[in-house]
Amino acid sequence: MPCIIALIVFGIMGIFSASHRALAKEAFICVFRRITFRPCNTNFQEKVKGKILSKIINRSTFLAKMVNKHYEILSWIFFILMLGSTFYVLRGGYNFYIYGSCNGLNASGFCAFDPSGGNNKTTAIGDSSTCGITQKTEQTVTLNNINLSSFPTQNISSKDTIVFIGCYACDYSRKAYPDIQKLVKDKQTNYIFAHYPAKGDTTFLADAGYCVYKDYPDKYWEFNDYLFSADKNYVLNKANLNEILGKFSFDVKKIDECANSVETKIAVENQVKELNKTGLYGTPTIFINGKAFVGPKPYRVYRVPLNKFIFF
Amino acid sequence: MVSMLDVDKIRADFNIFNKKDGVTPIYLDSGCMSLKPDVVVEAMNDYYFNYPACAGRSSHKLGDKVTKKVKEARELIAKFINAKDENEIIFTRNTTEGLNLLAYSLGLQKGDVVLISNKEHNSNLIPWLLLRDRIGIVVKIIPSNEDGSFNLDNFSKMINGVKLVSIVHTSNVDGVTNPVKEIIEIAHKNNSLVCLDAAQSIPHKKIDVQDLDVDFLAFSGHKMLGPTGTGVFYGKYKLLEKLAPFMVGGDTVEFSTYDSYKMLPIPDKFEAGLQNYAGIIGFGEAVKYLNQFDFKDIAEHELKLNTYITEELQKISKIKIMGPKDPKYRSGIINFYIDGIDMHKFAIMFDEMANIEIRSGQHCVHSYFADKKIYNSARVSLYLYNTMKEAEAFITNLNKIIKIL
Repeated sequence: MPCIIALIVFGIMGIFSASHRALAKEAFICVFRRITFRPCNTNFQEKVKGKILSKIINRSTFLAKMVNKHYEILSWIFFILMLGSTFYVLRGGYNFYIYGSCNGLNASGFCAFDPSGGNNKTTAIGDSSTCGITQKTEQTVTLNNINLSSFPTQNISSKDTIVFIGCYACDYSRKAYPDIQKLVKDKQTNYIFAHYPAKGDTTFLADAGYCVYKDYPDKYWEFNDYLFSADKNYVLNKANLNEILGKFSFDVKKIDECANSVETKIAVENQVKELNKTGLYGTPTIFINGKAFVGPKPYRVYRVPLNKFIFF
Repeated sequence: MVSMLDVDKIRADFNIFNKKDGVTPIYLDSGCMSLKPDVVVEAMNDYYFNYPACAGRSSHKLGDKVTKKVKEARELIAKFINAKDENEIIFTRNTTEGLNLLAYSLGLQKGDVVLISNKEHNSNLIPWLLLRDRIGIVVKIIPSNEDGSFNLDNFSKMINGVKLVSIVHTSNVDGVTNPVKEIIEIAHKNNSLVCLDAAQSIPHKKIDVQDLDVDFLAFSGHKMLGPTGTGVFYGKYKLLEKLAPFMVGGDTVEFSTYDSYKMLPIPDKFEAGLQNYAGIIGFGEAVKYLNQFDFKDIAEHELKLNTYITEELQKISKIKIMGPKDPKYRSGIINFYIDGIDMHKFAIMFDEMANIEIRSGQHCVHSYFADKKIYNSARVSLYLYNTMKEAEAFITNLNKIIKIL
């Protein structure tokens, strides 16, 4: 049994090292002889056993004795464990490529490929002070029965639709935003943007955005891009809003009046209520053809659902 | 038993024991390969650094120096085994090549009988079996006694009609030294030639080829402190003259035309092509180094260590020692095994646990192991540089390993 483990381990190591290649060859001969019902004649098994026992014997004679006595059983146990761990590693690798997390889509458990959990970090809903990994458990986040008609939309009649729910104050939304813009441009998808005030006071920006989209729908996207790309402290300072609006040659007074109107407040509140129905628990939450991606994923993750095949 | 060898002084001559960094190995595998004193390595380096030319061919100062050094080495080795004539010394790569030289040069015919012992190294078994298969010689095996010692009665009964007795002097399996003087005497009375495989004996005991009256003798440099790739095939002058050359070509002929040649006399006719000059010079240096010791002291020192190890091994009931129980019959070799245990594991554990280097396997004597139904063994082989402390370390670690079985 150790031959099989050794064949796999040394086979992989042999790609990089000639000495391990020789060991892999020995292991292969051993495995081949065993599966053809002949004893292994390369002494490989004894070599491996000897090396293992000599490491243990200097620490504990009793343990070495037990290992020597039950070597075959232990080998089987380790073999099964290796198969299990190999499965999990492969699954983790697949998940990481496809979803940005070893544990699956939006699963925030530890992932060796993303030890800081950066791909799952969100600004948690209801926690207005911090950005970080959400403490909530994964939920079903869905667009079913959600009315998105009041949100800014670029509809080019594509079969693919991306919905970006983000917050101007959330670093993770700001991180994901450029990738989504690039994806929309590259894949020519339908696109809906929704601002969700997850952190700090950003409602004034949502109100202004609502009015800009209403009065200047063509310039709205440029304005929105600016809010996500400009210095966060500057953008989030309410005193700078008029200056920002001025930069885009909007009628500042008109936007100001619109943003402060009761109708706008109600409309924006209704938008937030509608977004809450999705069950979202953090920003950014990005729906790609209805599938929710919570947290700033690598670009490839967003691209996968839009690819014909996984990789292209 | 007091050893006359100053082992500490000897060890000072070996770089491997005096490294300031790294771990000093406990080397107990001299039966396979001896360590090299610094003087041997330095002599070889001197050749490569200062006069790396051809011997016997070039008429320049560097060439002359090589010729002189090779001649010196040949003289030293001839004197070392008390050969009558330095030209009886033919340089080879090792014992195996020497034995093959004899097998292919002796001109054996179909039906000729070659007698060998049942403990021959493959080097002294396969060449004969090959000739059996190729030309139909007859190979006969002399059974040893139960304890591995040589059975002269068996030998005497089998000697009649034998063309050649080719036999190991000291066995690398159990360290038993065969009574070669008696063997040669009996063989000669029967007009049989005798060749000795002296690979394991010559590093440990004085060999006098004239006193033994042996016809041929093969040994290696690498087991007697010399470089790898060096060996000697000795033969009585008149016999060597009769042998056909084993390998021919450069430096084996006096002259040649497109359809004729005239061979050079011995030893040249057997030393075809450019030789391992650095090795030969180093080999000469190894012999010079060994000459400073009395072989009785070396044997006594090895026996002291062997006795200690044997006594300790005999305390462990599972362990079986190959060969006679009394260490005085086993030279510097202690070869042991445990039924049902693969001894490769032992060797690896010694190495990994304490840098103790021993040999495991069937030691190129597969035939004997197959006959005795022994899977493999672990062999400790001692030499003049080993210490009692090393022997104790071996036993300490052996006891640890035994505990986990």
